Amino acid sequence: MSAIAVATAPSLLAGKVSGRRRTKDRAYGVFMIACAILVFIPLALIIGYVVMRGWSALTVNFFTKEPAGPLNPSAGGIVQSFIGTAIITGMAAAISIPLGLLAAVYLAEYGRGRFAGAVRFVAEVLLSTPSIIAGAFIWAVVVVWMGSFSAIAGALALAFLMWPIITRATEEILRLVPNELREAGLALGLPRWKVIVRVVIPTAGAGILTAIMLAVARGLGETAPLLLTTLGSNFINFDPTKTTDSVTLRLYAYARTPVEALHTIAWGGAITLLAFVLALSIGARYVSHRQRKRLS
Amino acid sequence: MESGGLIAAEGAPPIGRRSQVVDRAFRWTTAVVAAGLILLLIALILELIDGSSRIFSTFGFSFFTGTDWNTVAGRESFGALPFVYGTLVTSFVAVVLAVPVSVGLALLLNEVRSGWVSNPLATFVDVLAAIPSIVYGLWGLFILKPFLDKYIEPFMHTTLGWIPVVGKLFSGNTVGPDLFSAGVILAIMIIPIVTAVTREVVATVPRDLREAAKAIGATRYETTRIAVLPYARSGIVGATMLGLGRALGETIAVSLLVGNTTRISTSLFGAGVTIPSWIASSFRDATSVGLHRSALLGLALILIALTFGFAALSRVLVGRDPRISVSATVEVAVAEAEEGRGGRDR
Amino acid sequence: MVKRTRASVVAAGMILALAAAACSSNNDSSSSGSSSSGGSFDGVALTGAGATFPDPIYEQWFQDFPSVESGAQINYQAIGSGGGVEQFTAQTVDFGASDAPLQSDEIAALPGDAIEIPTVLGGVAVSYNVPGVDDGLKLDGSTVADIFAGTITKWNDSAIAGQNAGVSLPDMDISVVHRSDESGTTFVFTSWLSDESPSWKKDVGADKAVQWPAGQGGDGNDGVAAAMTQTQGSIGYLSFDFALKSDLRVGAIKRDDGTYVAPSIESISAAGGILKFPISPDTNILNSPAEGAYPIASTTYLLIYLDQTDQSKGKTLVDFVTWALGPGQDTATQLNYSPLPTEIAQGGLAQLAKVSYQGTPIQASSNVTG
Repeated sequence: MSAIAVATAPSLLAGKVSGRRRTKDRAYGVFMIACAILVFIPLALIIGYVVMRGWSALTVNFFTKEPAGPLNPSAGGIVQSFIGTAIITGMAAAISIPLGLLAAVYLAEYGRGRFAGAVRFVAEVLLSTPSIIAGAFIWAVVVVWMGSFSAIAGALALAFLMWPIITRATEEILRLVPNELREAGLALGLPRWKVIVRVVIPTAGAGILTAIMLAVARGLGETAPLLLTTLGSNFINFDPTKTTDSVTLRLYAYARTPVEALHTIAWGGAITLLAFVLALSIGARYVSHRQRKRLS
Repeated sequence: MESGGLIAAEGAPPIGRRSQVVDRAFRWTTAVVAAGLILLLIALILELIDGSSRIFSTFGFSFFTGTDWNTVAGRESFGALPFVYGTLVTSFVAVVLAVPVSVGLALLLNEVRSGWVSNPLATFVDVLAAIPSIVYGLWGLFILKPFLDKYIEPFMHTTLGWIPVVGKLFSGNTVGPDLFSAGVILAIMIIPIVTAVTREVVATVPRDLREAAKAIGATRYETTRIAVLPYARSGIVGATMLGLGRALGETIAVSLLVGNTTRISTSLFGAGVTIPSWIASSFRDATSVGLHRSALLGLALILIALTFGFAALSRVLVGRDPRISVSATVEVAVAEAEEGRGGRDR
Repeated sequence: MVKRTRASVVAAGMILALAAAACSSNNDSSSSGSSSSGGSFDGVALTGAGATFPDPIYEQWFQDFPSVESGAQINYQAIGSGGGVEQFTAQTVDFGASDAPLQSDEIAALPGDAIEIPTVLGGVAVSYNVPGVDDGLKLDGSTVADIFAGTITKWNDSAIAGQNAGVSLPDMDISVVHRSDESGTTFVFTSWLSDESPSWKKDVGADKAVQWPAGQGGDGNDGVAAAMTQTQGSIGYLSFDFALKSDLRVGAIKRDDGTYVAPSIESISAAGGILKFPISPDTNILNSPAEGAYPIASTTYLLIYLDQTDQSKGKTLVDFVTWALGPGQDTATQLNYSPLPTEIAQGGLAQLAKVSYQGTPIQASSNVTG
């Protein structure tokens, strides 16, 4: 605090904001808005492009039926892809969220010294692993051992990617919770673990939800790791040990065929993915908004 | 105190034995899970070493320096240099373009008081994170790249191409797939994650710091510069690493824009290749007969090594954390209370 | 803890629900078919993976087949010829599919003997995107080889102009587009180039992926088509059904007898007659001497182990192939594939007769033999 005051005191205590400082401030404002525009133009264009190419595929059949063959695609749909994505991503989340939270808690609350530093480092390496390598790893370890492609293998490949993301992002969030809160909890006689669970985590709740949502969004959009682990399917499947489809796999497969009608279905799949993430994001934001209101 | 339990603070009731056991079990559980990450990486590296052993035993060091990539039986020859080059160049372009924009956007999202405006903005950015790579790739190929080829790249060519030495980066034919376009699409792809994490980090900068700056008359810009950014610095580096992580792993989108040419181009406007996009397109078909799969796993191992390098770099950048470590204060508080010393001023 | 408890309850609930559904699911592939002596046979679920070229026709076949043999739920995923061979070798799928015949090292790596059965015919088109140049640009093998080798660099080069009197060729650079991934299409194309150009054979060779002397790489047919659409002056090779659907122009290739033929369902069909059984690593239908045959024609294969380990799966497979080589061929043309000549289909069925379960050849059921 004193450093700040010393550094800026002379000009600030002058009382008036000089022209130069005002210009810099204005430039800063312009910079921020320019950044926002730079981000939103491509986003709007991408969403517009996806909607334009895929909206005509969004029929009832699309959501309720399995594929009907390339000669009559509109008689069928990709219901197996939606179910598969839900199952695979759901399982991946069920595995990676608890693991990610626990590891993040360790790093933020207990971790000091070389072991924690090593874990943090490892997490960053893992989350930079190309998703295809995660898929190949699970292929070698799970698929070949099981003798077949399966939904659980796909879930493990996604969890491989999601676990370190949740860990690192959540750790950053937890570390920002002020120490005073922890000390207050301890002063009240709460054991350490209760302080973490009942004070720190709820306080960081909104941020943690964001971290989880980022990881889930990543998992929803992945194709490469699933290619080698769940293979894909044209049939509805609830058995986690059998081949399963996902919206991304279907998108990828159809985009590679020369059949235009299948392309449109692929784009329709992309629209539903985006809509789902939009819903997730709004939901997460609503929950954190409610929580922030409650806390303040 | 004769309870023998851990005392949290002076004047506070002692913690019973059961809570102590739970406390220890909890801490131990989190540590084990954290260790699990290390085990996972070790398992991955072992698999990669096992799979790539043949390529290194056949080519040795020349695998790192070679520029061939010939999978034809009888002519097999593999070199990783063009791949490492392309990966580094595209990731560098992506980070240079994405981080300032993401930080700027994150700052804006925090400046805007009205939840009505910033919430939808933030939500849209999150949606960007879920767009599948192939959508980015196809949009990038049909919409972004023609735009870059027609307007941006020639502009860069004329304004920067004449500078000696650096200008070579911007020379050459701007038409066609290139490292720069791949870098731009990567930048767009990593903006959501860098923005989201930076936004959270900036949001949690303590109010007191900001208010103190305002109290002495700092402008919005100065508040940010002197109060917010230093505090958020390590978080921003962390966010950048998360973004870089995605950039280093991107496959389909890059493969549609980079040209998939296994050669080194000195210009950003030349075609190239990156490790993850190449592995993604080749891995399924690379049979374990012959050296092809082994070579791909060798590339993967090199990529992991590169990631190690970047992670180490981020440690250096974070440097001395201006925030005091969480666990350190708590440990001190616990230790002081245990020794029955006078409490802190709380 | 509340959040985490909730999450674990959700997870547990989900796993329970999945388990319950799995028990009652009608997707399980345990044997449910009856034995192979007369009576109608209920097919079972199969998984296959491989070639992308026949993906649309296979999709349609797998869609239509259950009405012939109920219960036969065949899941095919086009991950590429090389991928198909890899998964077939690892036995993670019930059958494979490849646009190129198995090579000797691949055969050596198989855990058991396998047969390769041709299913449909296709071809490789040489496509281009040159302003002012329409379909049917005449090209011969050595010119194409030189273009892809990077020695011919301009569209108005005399080698091209010499074959195309009356076509106005611009003074434009040729941008070569090739495949960056492994593919049967590349195998066929480079095999043809090796036949046509001794220098190509020496310097580059033929394989599912080669080290290209010039140009940029596209991932998959779609990647090549997309790259070519975006690049004026580009030339590339695509599997025929792709070329048809794209807006790119298609060239006419010189045959050994001096005439030029463009790829079409008929010209590709005409090439099929020279296919010889049993399939060997060198098998191809390139440069067929038959009348009007397109020089760069190819076939695509199903890979099946001779010794089946599951009787119902084996029977379903045999039934499917029998049907596909018979009534299935009628659907081929609707999707721009060339059907097999009758004698080739017969040859394929003869190969199929060798597939056995525990020493006994598997007979096709009455579903398909009528």
